[in-house]
Amino acid sequence: MVINRRQLSTIFERFHTALLALSCVDRKSFPSLSAQSTILFNNRNVIHSARQFSSKETVTITYVDPSGDEHPVEAEVGQHLLDVAHAKNIELEGACGGELACSTCHLIFDKDVYDTLPPKSDEEEDMLDLAFELTETSRLGCQIRVTKEFDGIKVRIPNDGY
Amino acid sequence: MARPSLRSFVESRSYSTHDSCTVGKRRLHNSAAVTDSPITHGRRRLRAVVVGSGPSGFYTAKYLTSSVNKRIAADRETATSSSSSSTSSSSWPFSGIDIDILERLPTPYGLVRYGVAPDHPEVKNVENDFAAVPGNTHSRAHGGGTVSYFGNVDVGRHVSLSTLSALYDVVVLAYGCQSDRGLTIPGLDLRGVLTARQFVNWYNGHPEFGYVADIVREALWDRDGNNAGDVDDADNGAISKAKAVVIGNGNVALDCARILAKGRRGLKDTDVPSSVLDVLGDGVEKVVVVGRRGHVQGAFTIKELRELTKLQKEGYDVSFRVRQEELDMGMTEASLQELQLASGRPKMRIDALLREAAATTEEEGEGDHEAPTKTIELRLLMNPIRIESNNNRNNPRVHHVIFERTQLQGEPGKQLSVGTGQYEKISADLVILSVGYKGSPLEGMNENMFDSQRGIVVNNQGKVCGDNNLFVVGWIKRSPTGIIGSNIMDAKETVASIMKYIDSNPQNLLALHEDSDDDLSKGSRGLIRHLEANNVKYVTWDQFLQIDQAERDRDRLRNDVQPREKFLSVDEMLACLQSTC
Repeated sequence: MVINRRQLSTIFERFHTALLALSCVDRKSFPSLSAQSTILFNNRNVIHSARQFSSKETVTITYVDPSGDEHPVEAEVGQHLLDVAHAKNIELEGACGGELACSTCHLIFDKDVYDTLPPKSDEEEDMLDLAFELTETSRLGCQIRVTKEFDGIKVRIPNDGY
Repeated sequence: MARPSLRSFVESRSYSTHDSCTVGKRRLHNSAAVTDSPITHGRRRLRAVVVGSGPSGFYTAKYLTSSVNKRIAADRETATSSSSSSTSSSSWPFSGIDIDILERLPTPYGLVRYGVAPDHPEVKNVENDFAAVPGNTHSRAHGGGTVSYFGNVDVGRHVSLSTLSALYDVVVLAYGCQSDRGLTIPGLDLRGVLTARQFVNWYNGHPEFGYVADIVREALWDRDGNNAGDVDDADNGAISKAKAVVIGNGNVALDCARILAKGRRGLKDTDVPSSVLDVLGDGVEKVVVVGRRGHVQGAFTIKELRELTKLQKEGYDVSFRVRQEELDMGMTEASLQELQLASGRPKMRIDALLREAAATTEEEGEGDHEAPTKTIELRLLMNPIRIESNNNRNNPRVHHVIFERTQLQGEPGKQLSVGTGQYEKISADLVILSVGYKGSPLEGMNENMFDSQRGIVVNNQGKVCGDNNLFVVGWIKRSPTGIIGSNIMDAKETVASIMKYIDSNPQNLLALHEDSDDDLSKGSRGLIRHLEANNVKYVTWDQFLQIDQAERDRDRLRNDVQPREKFLSVDEMLACLQSTC
């Protein structure tokens, strides 16, 4: 039987709800379960996120915010740059939750890094068309996974004037 | 998706004393400034009210909260690091912020719930960001502060704008557009003519648009007006032979076409209400989307066009057609130059996509038994002149639309469509006018405050012009253009204006008066007193979550995948709160 992502997410959710109901678990007292439920909320990529627990390799990536301030963070290899930003409290919107239905996670790369990135799908290009302050080295953060080669790179969050 | 209810289940468990700044991913970048210092500035929190709970309202609440928190944190740093006493005129006079979000319907989210098409669920994911906004703006240790929701409160009817101005320090109008941009052609009042706003609200289950069902049902299944049992065809999976014409070239026009064409089989797994599927049947055989200018000038975006070109491949039994000659006619010298502009890159890709679609249209010959049953055709350079009836005195309704062929004339970026004297009649059983929404003034609004030509409140970067504490954001500020994300920058601009207003009006600020957070005549407390005195059954955020959960109850759903079966009336929503739904 072919099962789609949403159905899988629904199944995980129902299991999780049942677990919570049975054990009357308070998220506060069970931080590891909190992390789990946060991951289950990430409808976009349940399987990928579950894998995150086992992968510990990290590289240093610096997010440069619109005012020019730099925020270096330890990013897990394999995670999408949008998820890294949210995990590390960097202010980057991701209105559609990473499903290529908006351009709010738009990031600007240095040319040499941009050239090494995997090619854009039509769908990513379509959304980039609507991005504010689009550049020649722009990509959507929800489509770019951290690799080992990203160690030391800087990514810029476009300046919307505020 | 059950995400909001799961969150509510989890959040309802003992967060009263816990700093909710660490709840969930989204909340993390909402609370910019929780520090350890117990110093509180001023004697009370800023009181703000936002009228409207769509994207503009929610983004405003979110960014106002983070701006205030950042400001308080910055002031603390200045206070602790400076050796001399900081000048009180530059420090933020409030200890935090309380924001009340008012919404006319019991349910929030505005166009995300009633505008976004049911087959675009990923666009609705932004609701998760919004759901994280109600709650604490500031930890209790640092002055508290909340964003509260008041649903089922009609500003103008239940509480006046002037009352809000008095109860709160700052009033932000985020109520969007409730009306339509006009098209002045004869025949608009014929039976079977709707605006896109009416049609979209209906297929999304808006409580005030149920009446549209009969108009659509008649157009699709009972055009002769003799009730010849056609209505059963809708249930039996029949495709309506009606011809639908959508006038307009934006994404809303494409949404209307796609929903009409997809029908029950294409939409059954979405959150479209079941009663809508009962009317649509298996969709309409032919939908024509007609634009006045060329494809380069069209307001649609490539994602939505690409979606139409893929419908056939994805098994929806709908083909997409566009005419090569109309693409060529629209490619004037000026249009070519428009493509070369910086803003032209997206248009170049649209041009390439449509040319490819036109080539595919040419290839499909007659008598191709593999061809889809249903078609969406994009027509260009056609200006609607008249909508004409079937001249049936017993059952007058729309019969066709007369268009005039246009050609583009003028400078790049300013081309106008000019009539050529050639006319074409396109048959129509249903006509949907999709030429834009329009804003209207709020009851009690001063006449000078509203620009009725543009349909917006007169403002300067979000501050409503005049001596008042009013601000605007969203479509009622900048007119109905853009996407959900456009509200992010818009909200930030209005928030900056609010901060500027507060910084430049220290004498007027109520912080200097005697009232406190507990003052019963102001803010949330004052509002609640007013609403209760007027018997208004307002809906709290937790109560909305009950409604939300009830819509997702398995017993209501037509299949396992349908995300929710919306309540179609306010009474049904409120009944939920009495546990009788």
